[in-house]
Amino acid sequence: MKVFSQAFRPVGSNKVDPVLVALWIAFILFAIIWITPFLFIVFTSLKSNSTVMGSSAFSPPTELAFGNFAAAWARGNFSTTAFNGIVITFIKVPLGLFVSAMAAYALAKVPMRINKVLFALFVFGTMLPFQVMLAPIFRQVNAFGLINTYPGIILPYLAFGIPYQVFILYGFFSTVPKELSEAARIDGASHFTIFRRIFLPVSLPVLSALLILDFVATWNEFAMALVILQDPRMWTLPLGLMNFQSQFQSDYGQLNAAIIMTVLPAAIVYLMFQRYFVSGLTSGAVKE
Amino acid sequence: MSKARLTLRPSMQGYVLLAPALIVYLLFAVYPMIDVIRMSFSSWNGLSPQAKFVGLANYRAIMTQDPVFWGALWNTLIWTTTAVIVPNLIAFGVALALNQNIPGRSGLRIVFYLPVIIASIAVATIWKWMYDPFFGLFNGLLTSWGLTGWIMDWLGDKKIALWSVFVAHVWQSVGFSMVLFLAGLQSVSTTLIEAARIDGAGRWGVFRYVTLPALVPTMTVVFVLSLINSLKAFDIVYGMTGGGPAQSTQMLAMWAYTQSMQLGVFGRGAAVSVVLLLITLVVVIPYMRWMFKREDMGR
Repeated sequence: MKVFSQAFRPVGSNKVDPVLVALWIAFILFAIIWITPFLFIVFTSLKSNSTVMGSSAFSPPTELAFGNFAAAWARGNFSTTAFNGIVITFIKVPLGLFVSAMAAYALAKVPMRINKVLFALFVFGTMLPFQVMLAPIFRQVNAFGLINTYPGIILPYLAFGIPYQVFILYGFFSTVPKELSEAARIDGASHFTIFRRIFLPVSLPVLSALLILDFVATWNEFAMALVILQDPRMWTLPLGLMNFQSQFQSDYGQLNAAIIMTVLPAAIVYLMFQRYFVSGLTSGAVKE
Repeated sequence: MSKARLTLRPSMQGYVLLAPALIVYLLFAVYPMIDVIRMSFSSWNGLSPQAKFVGLANYRAIMTQDPVFWGALWNTLIWTTTAVIVPNLIAFGVALALNQNIPGRSGLRIVFYLPVIIASIAVATIWKWMYDPFFGLFNGLLTSWGLTGWIMDWLGDKKIALWSVFVAHVWQSVGFSMVLFLAGLQSVSTTLIEAARIDGAGRWGVFRYVTLPALVPTMTVVFVLSLINSLKAFDIVYGMTGGGPAQSTQMLAMWAYTQSMQLGVFGRGAAVSVVLLLITLVVVIPYMRWMFKREDMGR
């Protein structure tokens, strides 16, 4: 095979390296162990409950019980939780990226007296564990009368997403040459125009990397939602899954179907965009 | 065209651009942090309008009357230490392998990254099910291999429950560090590697004198991120054991939540939070200083 004849040659060498071949085989075995949980979930999701109890744990399903998915959808109240997840994610993610990009532009390109202090304040936020502050966040959201509402969860999500996004976008905007914005300023453009017309378009690769990251994080978030969204009608998918797990514990086929339906959207988004993901992130996070 | 529209001074334009992000961040992230410190010095049940100032009483209470706090602190520290070492070593190995010219690279990268994008609560559900003493994968495999002596109640036995949860955490977190390591490895200059090879450096020589030094900044970032991530361990523990059996998997972040939001002793919960916050700061402050120094040198 062509792939194989080209492979296993280290940088600067044109001979196949036997050590590399041996390591590769060991590595493939390791990767198989890594995928096992996925296979296990898929297999189980397609087994009827009596098959789960009767057959060995890792045997493939014989008769495909697709009914598990429909049953889990209904019992787990997925139409509500998926809808809430979509509303929250689709508002939070673009809004957060937009305000973060504005702030990062201002910090990186507008000379102000407090640039450095504010940047340090934002960087500090990237390290702040919100899990520590669930009670005061609850108290704050409650003070605004926003418990069990979309704004009530979106605002804290924004607050804890902004620091990281500002940090990455600041790193990126700093690398954009000064001449680009200065020339536009001489022509009389305001910073609003420069941001919208020049900097927003050039940052699209970084923004799309952050978009994927933030989509997945928001879609999957659990602890904050647990505290703020106490009404089951406001639940998101992870809360629904948690409830499903405790209520229908003995129905493993349905449980695994529920896991797959919860995980699938984030997995699809990641697989679709994973190319941009690594390149976009590295331009900001681990720049050298 | 009329020129009579409102124009702001450049610095004012900057503040306008900054305002939305800054206001939300201050209101819902910075203020709660100050509030949790204030709360830790007061007694509040979540219902009464006024909190009473009690000084250090909450701290004294969690340290002397709370049967769970020290265990949770110990679990958090040992979990964090191991979580910095084990997944990152694996991630480093995987990244090194994936950085070689081997077939199936991109597919393998997806295999190792996929667990990262799964909700922690789903990971918890998956692993809880695999650990099931009767129908789970592990005991099933052990039975089919004839190793019935090894069969265990993975999450029900308080001696091993923490490590059972930890294995799930390792599975989930390797991919994240792997991506960062891969990014770091790809920035190692290939000309430098080739030059070293021409100078007669072997595999180990290139690794020791070219690759490793170039990766120091990446390693620092990975180290700090995984340290912070493991200090705030919550979802996976909550989803797998809820802190049990017999509080053997209880962690500080979850114990703070339980005290405040479930037991209604907000002051004590806040005190636990502040302890965790202080531990975090011990890591964060030197890291931020290192990072800013590095940024300045780069200019």
